[in-house]
Formats: sequence, C-alpha cells, structure tokens
Amino acid sequence: MSESAEPTTKERPSRWWHRWMRMPSELRELGVVGINMRNARFLLPNNPRRLYDLVDNKLRTKSLAEAEGLSVPETYAVIQSPHDTALIEKRLADRPAFVVKPARGSGGKGVLVIDGRDGKDYVKPSGAKLSGDELRHHVSNILAGLFSLGGKRDCALVEYRVRPAKVLTDLSFQGAPDIRIVMLHGYPVMAMLRAATRESDGRANLHQGALGIGIDIATGLTVRAVHHGHPVTIHPDLGIPLLGIQIPDWDKILDIAVICQEMTGLGYLGVDLMIDETIGPLMIEVNARPGLAIQMANGVGLLRRLEPVDRYHREHPGAGRDQKIAFSRSHFAAVKR
Amino acid sequence: MSSRVKLLFAVFVLIAVGAGLSFYKVRTIGMPFWKADRLYEWLVEAKVSFFATGGKVKARLSLPANAINKSARLDSGSLGYSYFTEPAGSEYTAVWTADSREKLQSLYYGVLVPPNASSGAEPLPSEVAPPVAEIPGLPAEVADAAGRVVAQSKGLSSDPEALFVDFFRQLQSESASQEVVLVRRHYEKEFKERTVIAMGIDLLGMAGVPARIAYGVKLTTKEGSQAPIPLVEYYDGAYWKVRDPQQPEMVLENLPIFVWHRGGGPLLDVTGGENSRVTFTVSREQIPLNKLTDLSDRSVFVSTILSLPADQRDVFRYIVLIPLGAFVVVLLRNIVGISTLGTFMPVLLALALLEIPLETGLIMFTVIIASGLWFRFLLSRLNLLVVPRVAACVVIVTLLMMLMSVLSHRMGFGSSVEITLFPMIILAWTIERMSLIWEEEGKRSALTQVAGSVFVAVLAFFFMSIGQVQYWAFYFPELLLVLLAGILLIGRYTGYRLSELIRFKSFSEA
Repeated sequence: MSESAEPTTKERPSRWWHRWMRMPSELRELGVVGINMRNARFLLPNNPRRLYDLVDNKLRTKSLAEAEGLSVPETYAVIQSPHDTALIEKRLADRPAFVVKPARGSGGKGVLVIDGRDGKDYVKPSGAKLSGDELRHHVSNILAGLFSLGGKRDCALVEYRVRPAKVLTDLSFQGAPDIRIVMLHGYPVMAMLRAATRESDGRANLHQGALGIGIDIATGLTVRAVHHGHPVTIHPDLGIPLLGIQIPDWDKILDIAVICQEMTGLGYLGVDLMIDETIGPLMIEVNARPGLAIQMANGVGLLRRLEPVDRYHREHPGAGRDQKIAFSRSHFAAVKR
Repeated sequence: MSSRVKLLFAVFVLIAVGAGLSFYKVRTIGMPFWKADRLYEWLVEAKVSFFATGGKVKARLSLPANAINKSARLDSGSLGYSYFTEPAGSEYTAVWTADSREKLQSLYYGVLVPPNASSGAEPLPSEVAPPVAEIPGLPAEVADAAGRVVAQSKGLSSDPEALFVDFFRQLQSESASQEVVLVRRHYEKEFKERTVIAMGIDLLGMAGVPARIAYGVKLTTKEGSQAPIPLVEYYDGAYWKVRDPQQPEMVLENLPIFVWHRGGGPLLDVTGGENSRVTFTVSREQIPLNKLTDLSDRSVFVSTILSLPADQRDVFRYIVLIPLGAFVVVLLRNIVGISTLGTFMPVLLALALLEIPLETGLIMFTVIIASGLWFRFLLSRLNLLVVPRVAACVVIVTLLMMLMSVLSHRMGFGSSVEITLFPMIILAWTIERMSLIWEEEGKRSALTQVAGSVFVAVLAFFFMSIGQVQYWAFYFPELLLVLLAGILLIGRYTGYRLSELIRFKSFSEA
C-alpha cells in the first residue's frame, strides 16, 4: 500500500470570493473537516457516551494516567466541601506556586494560576495579587459548579504549577504554551502548540488571539503558525521566529498521547500536554471533543489524515503502540525525508 | 442494518404516515389543505359541568336562536347521555338525560358564529303581547326610596331607552344619590355580585318598562374559559331589546358580545346534580364546522387533538408551534452555524415574542438584558456564591420588569407591555448565562451568542407566525411527523456549515 497521505502541494488559483469565504467544494478538496462531519463521522461512532466522564472529570483522568505510569502534575489537594475550602490556606502553606482548577471544567474555564506569594497575598503570573478570601471565593465558585459542564456540582483540584521549558516560554507572551495532539484509534494525527499573545491575555485559546503553531508529527519541529487564521512566521508581540523549533522530548510526547488513548478507550480525542523544565512532558488533560483549529495551524485538512488512519486501522486492527507511531510518523511527515 | 438504512427507513415511515394521514383527511373528509382566505369563524363552546349525585340526571341548557337556524352545532364530550333539542319560545333548549351518574360531569355544546352573523341582540317581537312590567315586592322604606329614584328619572324622560341608560349610569356611578345607595344596600344583601342587574331590572319594572335578564359571551380568544356575561333585555313597547348594563349607551350589535340566551328563563337547569355551572370557550376556527364535526367522529388516530373539546384543544395552538421553532433552531445551528446561548433558548424567546408584540418584545429584551447585566456585574464585586447570585439576578429582573411596565404605562404605551411569567424566566436565565460567558470567553463571544440567539428567535418567530404554517400545525398535526423526518435528516448532515465557509476562508495548504 502506498497511500501517500499528503499529495504534492500545488498552487491553487485565488478567486474573488476568497476574501469572504470558501466554496464547500474547495474545502472538501482541501480535506477540511467541519463540526458536523467531526461529530457524525468521528466523535459519535468512536466515542461512546459512557466514556466521556473519564475525560470530563480530571480526577478520574489523572488516576487513570497515574495507574499507567504517566507523568502528570502532582496533586496537592482535592477540595470537595466547604470545610476543605476553609482549610485551603493551611494545606497549601508550604506550596509557593500552584494551580487551582475545576475537576470538570472545559476550555480552561476557572483555572487559577498562582506563581508565588507576597506576604499574605498570592501573586498571579500577570503580577496581580489575590487575597486569601478571594482564593477561597474562587474555590467556592468551582464547588458550586460555576465552571463545570452543565453547572453540576464540582470539586476543585490544586496541583503542581508547571514550569514550562524555556524553548516554549520563549514562544509565548506570558502564559504557558501547551501541546495538543489529535488522535484517531490511537494514531497521532495532527499536533500543534498553542502560545499566548498579548491579545489573548495569557490564554491559549485560538479564537481569543492565541497563536496556533503546527508541529510535524514525524520530527516534532514547528512547521507553520497562524494568528487569527492567517499564516505568520514571527511572534506578533515578541518578534521571534516561530518556525523550525524543535519540541523537546517529542518521542516521549507521542508515547504519552498513544497511552492516553489506550487508557481512556476513546477513539477520537485530543491530548493536551505541557513540558516542564525539569520533569519533562506532563499530561494535562484529555479532550473528547477536540476542536478544528488544528487544521489551520498545520495547513492540512484533517480528513487527509483521518481517512488513511481509518483505512489502515481497519486493515491492521491489532496494531501495537510502536506500529501506530511509526505509521503516523512515516505518513504524516510535513518535511519529506 | 446499517444506521444509514435505519435512518432512511425511519424517515420514510414518518413521511408516509404524516403525509398519508393528511392526504386521507383532505381526500375523504374534505379538510381544506390550504388556509382559506375567508375570515375567521368563532366557535363558541358551552361547557356544562356539575357534580352528579348518583341518581337520574337531566340538564337543560338554553341555546341561542341562531344556533338552530344555521344548524351550527357540534356536540362533543357528552358520551352516554341521550340528547335532544326542544323549542322554547324563540329559542331552543338542549336537553341531556342519563341514568345513575356520579362525580363530575361535563357536557359540551358548540355554536359556530360566522364573522358577519348577527350578534343575537336584534329586536324581537314579544311572544305574549304585550308584556306587563312586574312591580317588585320591597320593604316600605326601600320601595319608597326606589319610587323616588324612578320618579326623578321619569321626570327627565319616560322613553324606555333613556330610562335604561339613566338607571344603569346611576347604579354604576361613584356619586350616586342617597336613595340609590339605600336601595342598593338592600339589594346587595340579597343578590351579591348580581346587585346591579337585579336592581336595574326592578327599577325598570317600577318605571313601567318590562325587563329581564339575558346572557352573552364575549367573542375573544384572550380570556380562555369565561363565565356567561349577564345582560339586560327590556321591552320598549314594540320589541324586546338587549343591552349590556356595563355599557348602557352602546347598542349591542357593535360590541363583541354574542347573546347566547334571551327570554328571561334560566340559562341552565340541572336536576340530579349539584354545583352546576356553564362556562364558555371561544376559539377561532379556520375550517368549516361540519368538517370539524366529521373529524371528531373518526378514530383518535385520525382526529388527534381535533377531537378534544375547544377549551382543551386551544392549549395546543401554542404547543404545536414549539416543534416548528425547534426546527428553525436546528436549521440555523447545524446548517448555517449561528451560535446561540443554549440550544432551545431561542425557541423559548420566540414563544415569548408571540405573546408580546415583536418590537416592544425586542426593545424590552435589550433594555432588560443590558441593565440586568450591569447589575449582575455590580453583584459580582460582592463575591457572592453562585446560587444566591442567580437568585439575586431573578429579583433584579423582576424589579426591572415592574419598572418597565410602569414607565411604559406612564409614557402612554398602555397595555403594549404585557408581561407574563414565561418571558421573565427566560430573561433571568439569559442574563446569568450571558454574564458567565462574558467573564469566561470575553464580551465578543457573549455578544455574538446573544445576538445569534435573538436573530434565531426572530426568524423562528416569523416562521411560527406564518398563518399557513400555524394552520398546518394545528389542523394537520400529523405533518409534524414530516418535520421530525426533516430534523432526523439534518441530524445526519455532515457537510460544512455556512459559518465554516467563512471561518476557513484563509485556509491554505502548507
């Protein structure tokens, strides 16, 4: 089988309507996946509803990952009741930096990062200060379900504050960049790095103005970057080049991604990771409904990669971890070797 | 069977059943498939209800004269009763009889009133010529005072119409004369809420004008089920005429009141039952009544909601519109790709708009959402917990609605801002939801979603207010199965959303 996943790039003529939109036929030709197609062809058949809680509840994801021996940020405390909330400062007394997040949050909602202390106050990465009262109020909001899916009661997770590797922090205006890998049937399909800009205010959400930087699956080199959907080569705030940067520990990252798929059983998922300066790659969360912006960051339609994986998976249902990674690396290489 | 085949099968079955039933109704019953251009007809349905005491039951309901002439009748829900009509003077009486009945009984009688039909208040010649005015037996002191009231009015004019207007004006006036107050006090003891009618009839009698009670129904769909309106019939020397004591100057033909019962006899007479009463439900019918009668005789599968009595059926006039709104939402979200606050919030908003006029509804929505949001941000500075904050939000929305109603009333918009419970819940919930998104995803996202919701709601509203669409949904509810098939098909649409064509406009291959 010689299914060359990516046909040779050819210049497509620019049309007058490209200023406003693309024709459906053009997008189909580019292999772009829309929400409806993602849901109907990839999410619904491959992700059974009952497995969603495994990934929607970060406590469960973390305990699964720990059982598999994956590195995850160390849990300092789990706060489940108003009583725990009252004691939170005492329990975190010897932790200068930590992250508070809702166990069932999504899209970074309700995540509070504390970088250090200033007397009795807590300091956020932006330099803003937070009193003990405000910290407890934030935790109470998490418990009341303010940030959880569907407003259900929730618990708060306090964990290790990742210190991202320098090569990554260099790419980001404040905030910690994270790596998203989209997987189908355990095959890494596409990867990107999300880096904050001044506009995105430390957040890594692409539609809020963060940078999406495509990563070559084969090598872990950054190959392309987009800002608001338009290709860029240098960081709009920092002015440094974004392309050709080697993501450290790439082999390990692909391993972690595949293990995440195996442990959750979800067919189509996105794995979010961060790379700590000292500990190396850490699994942050698993997303059962990964977004579509990754196509823009890589300049490749997802269908170009999902279809070969689907076909190969049907022909080799028992493929092992190494076989899967080898397949992805050889077929989805951005730079032909 | 693959899921695709299953889906196509389900879609086929739904369309076949829905369209087949409609076709059957059009072909064999002759229900018009297209909404006719003619005006609405009023269906006035009387509901007689009483508690049967266990023995033989006989209920007599007086019927309007035109009910029989135009053979406009619809008898439903009166199962197990033997039923006939008997002539009674110029009118008719419906008689239901049954053996050994227990518990709550409901009997229905419907009359169709064409839009140009007479209101039933036309002058009638007397049955026994000429009628004699009755002098009521009153205590001496009261009779004396009443005599003085009559004499005073007769001094101005002895014309029956003028007397009628004069008496009822005095009776309703705040600054009535001492005599009127004295007499009224006597009548209040005996007649309670019927004081005005009873006293007016007696005063007319003392003035030599024969008068008696009549009953009417207000031709409006707004009131739901209504009690009979007491009217007064008086003899002007040649004819019996009917007027509404609430508006004594008005000739009844110009009022939206249909006179159900004349002639002075009882409207309803039940033997073998207690707590009997009549209520009327008025609805607008768009299909000929004989078709409706024909339909309600068929099996439940064919007649569906149309076999229900009018008062129960009318609830569905709104309910059948909800699936239509849902369809619009599905279309706009999955094919166009407009993001909304929650999935069905726009449907609820569209339903709210059906109750309030569109422009006032939108202005009110905008003003309340904007100011509610502002208050919500003030509240968020107080670091309140979630549930109290939502509750506070509800209180604020309530206060804002009060304020808006009062202001619009003061500024002379009158009753244009009618606030019901329903929009209020939607508003409070929208504010809470929106302020969360505002904080979490930024104001752009929050504003897009609210604007999207309003846009979808307005489109759904326009779709739901198309007369033909309402007609199909209500008279051919089985067509909702076809709509369901459409929704199932959209559920399997895997193509691009319109918004994605724009989102990916700068997509270029690496």
